[in-house]
Amino acid sequence: MKSFAGSTSKAASIKFRMPTRESLIPIRLDLDVDGHRYKDAFTWNPDDPDSEVLTFAKRTVKDLKLPPTFVTQISQSIQSQLAEFRSYGGQDMYIREKIVPLKVDLRVNNTVIRDSFLWDISNFESDPEEFARTLCNDLDVADPEVAPAIAVSIREQLFEIAAQSVSAVREAKLGKKGRRTYDLSKGGNNALDVSKYFGSKGSGVIRKRKDWYMNGPTVDILSNEEVGTLDELNSRLKRKLDEKEDSF
Amino acid sequence: MSEGGEMAPNGGAEPSRELYTVPFSSSWFQWGEIHETEKRALPEFFEGVSTTKNPRVYKEYRDFIINKYREDTSKRLTFTEVRKALIGDVSLLQKLFSFLEKWGLINFSASVKPSQRQNQTVETKVLVEEGTPPGLRVILAPTQVVQQGKALGEKKLIGGENGLKLPPLTSYSDIYGEWDPRKGSLCGLCGEQCLDEHYKKMEDGLKICLKCLKSNNSDKEETTENKPAPAPVSVPSLAWTDSETLLLLEGVLKHGDDWDLIAQHVRTRNKNECIARLIQLPFGEHIVGLTNGKSVPRLPLAQSKPVEVELSKEPIENNGDVSELGRPSEEPPSKKSRVASYVSATESLIKQVALLSAVSGPHVTAAAADAAITELCNESFHAREAFDKSKSEVERKFTLSNQEPPSNLDAEGDQQKIVPEETETPSPSDESEKEFITTSFQIRAAVATAIGATAARAKLLADHEEREMELLMATIIEAQMRKIQYKMKHFSELEAMMDQEYDLLQQQKKSLVREWVDLLRQAFHTGVPRWKDNQCSPKAIDN
Repeated sequence: MKSFAGSTSKAASIKFRMPTRESLIPIRLDLDVDGHRYKDAFTWNPDDPDSEVLTFAKRTVKDLKLPPTFVTQISQSIQSQLAEFRSYGGQDMYIREKIVPLKVDLRVNNTVIRDSFLWDISNFESDPEEFARTLCNDLDVADPEVAPAIAVSIREQLFEIAAQSVSAVREAKLGKKGRRTYDLSKGGNNALDVSKYFGSKGSGVIRKRKDWYMNGPTVDILSNEEVGTLDELNSRLKRKLDEKEDSF
Repeated sequence: MSEGGEMAPNGGAEPSRELYTVPFSSSWFQWGEIHETEKRALPEFFEGVSTTKNPRVYKEYRDFIINKYREDTSKRLTFTEVRKALIGDVSLLQKLFSFLEKWGLINFSASVKPSQRQNQTVETKVLVEEGTPPGLRVILAPTQVVQQGKALGEKKLIGGENGLKLPPLTSYSDIYGEWDPRKGSLCGLCGEQCLDEHYKKMEDGLKICLKCLKSNNSDKEETTENKPAPAPVSVPSLAWTDSETLLLLEGVLKHGDDWDLIAQHVRTRNKNECIARLIQLPFGEHIVGLTNGKSVPRLPLAQSKPVEVELSKEPIENNGDVSELGRPSEEPPSKKSRVASYVSATESLIKQVALLSAVSGPHVTAAAADAAITELCNESFHAREAFDKSKSEVERKFTLSNQEPPSNLDAEGDQQKIVPEETETPSPSDESEKEFITTSFQIRAAVATAIGATAARAKLLADHEEREMELLMATIIEAQMRKIQYKMKHFSELEAMMDQEYDLLQQQKKSLVREWVDLLRQAFHTGVPRWKDNQCSPKAIDN
């Protein structure tokens, strides 16, 4: 059994990283070249050499039979997202015990899954992939693409929160002298106070029965026609936005 | 893997204890405390540095998960189900959940996923060697029987939802009947196949193998739980002597309903036996009623006809064991279904039949009653005889109140239940046998009535609900449509406004350009200074 890093729950500042066991960062691609649309989401290990990116892009284009212009597009998009992650690198991240509500609302092929749960971002042992797998197993979700999509969605939210805590530290350092107190009171800006969840009275950790449905997952399976209409709506929306941008 | 039973108190101060099966290796588990193993596996809770992770929270999480699983031990508890109800970091909760699952504190006797089912035979061997483990029953049941048992179990569940407690005798008798010829003698308690001469035949027709007989005689709590009212006649060594009964009565008068003290007073008997004995005494019910403030549910009929009581004991045993035999060995039935007593079930059945037939209306019940009786008569010769014999009596009951007639809307389901069972009910004399058969058919008729009435009622309710749902659905759709229409109207208004704005802008632009051109022209006319030439860009002139 792995030993748990005891310092995580203290108010310690750590160099920036993903608040999960494996420091994988979420990458989301949504490219539109010459009428071809390519959407994808996956995780990337930032410690991998950058040459991997181009190899990956070439491979993807080959496998999916996309036009060759996509190679540069894909690698650029991945590189820029990696760069964004690395721009935080080496900076202090202020982490104390911080429980945040995460929401998942995804459509993967024909499966629509909505869920909401609490996540401790100071728990560096957490594993979104494992969580997503369990969720799909428990709900008997057949589509194998759902679990990775959930994991990516969780990672995106975690990344955002981690990035916010970096800027919180930066602000605090630039600010007035009493930065310690500032940290303690405002460190978790979007984390709701933990004690709000844990009732001050005795049995705080068990939710009221009427709240269960809000914190549990729901899964809908759409028919092919519904998926078709949704896709069409999305693309039309995107085209309209593009047209508007062009006209001005 | 070795397995053992653990007695866990059911939380309250109630003397009743429930039996759950956990792996032997997890016997460190105690409700009251937190064991070293737990502290080692989940140190997060015991570091004392965090506000949200402390031993108290840990215990609440743990107790909730285990209790949730024990609500229905045959069902597999999933993590997703648990985290709905618990506040806290899901990663940590998942760690805790898999810890409990690993140690078998949850999902131990739940049905295993298909992939793991192959191990079944291996486990069977191990268990047989151990003798009869208190919590687990292992049988070499043919698959067909397993399926039937499952189907019947489901039916029973449906009945239970309507608050109806069916005595399981008819539903299980056919399984038992099928067994006997094929498998030879099976022990009524542990369900194992008994070798020749290695079983004892009880007076109520139940065969018990020697192993079980021994354990039956020793005061095992397990056994007494399965048999809430052990019959003194069937197990001679359990017969009460007069002096013991006297001591019991003294104890009851002295200690009221504190059964621990009473059992101490009697000394030679344990608590459950004392309760059972007192209830069996002719005035026992009276005393219990006095001391408890509420009477013990018991069929008055059973008091007056001792023969029937003895015979009706058999279904109790059958029920408990057949229901277990019918399932795969990893899922012993949950406690409640095992304890259900035939006697109280019959009583409540009759009550329920009255209630249900009142609900579904006299005509439906009467029509269904005819169907049920015809079906019963077709089913077996004995039934016809019995009904012919008791026709006058039954008719009298019909006319007295429209509440007795059995109804049967579900003829197929009924057929399954009405497989004859009397083939294996030996009885002391011919008369009492006939009497019993008559009674048993009446009970079956009552069961059929109950099912029929329930079905009729359920159908009505379902129809009503469906209509309601359709209506609501229509309302919802209508409201949504209206919403969308409003939105569209709004947007088109917006668009019109935008267009107007755009036109206005265009006009302004035009007039601006015209003014500019006018200005330039005036400038030309009035004579242009040399330096102004540069500013007159071709673009402006084009316009």
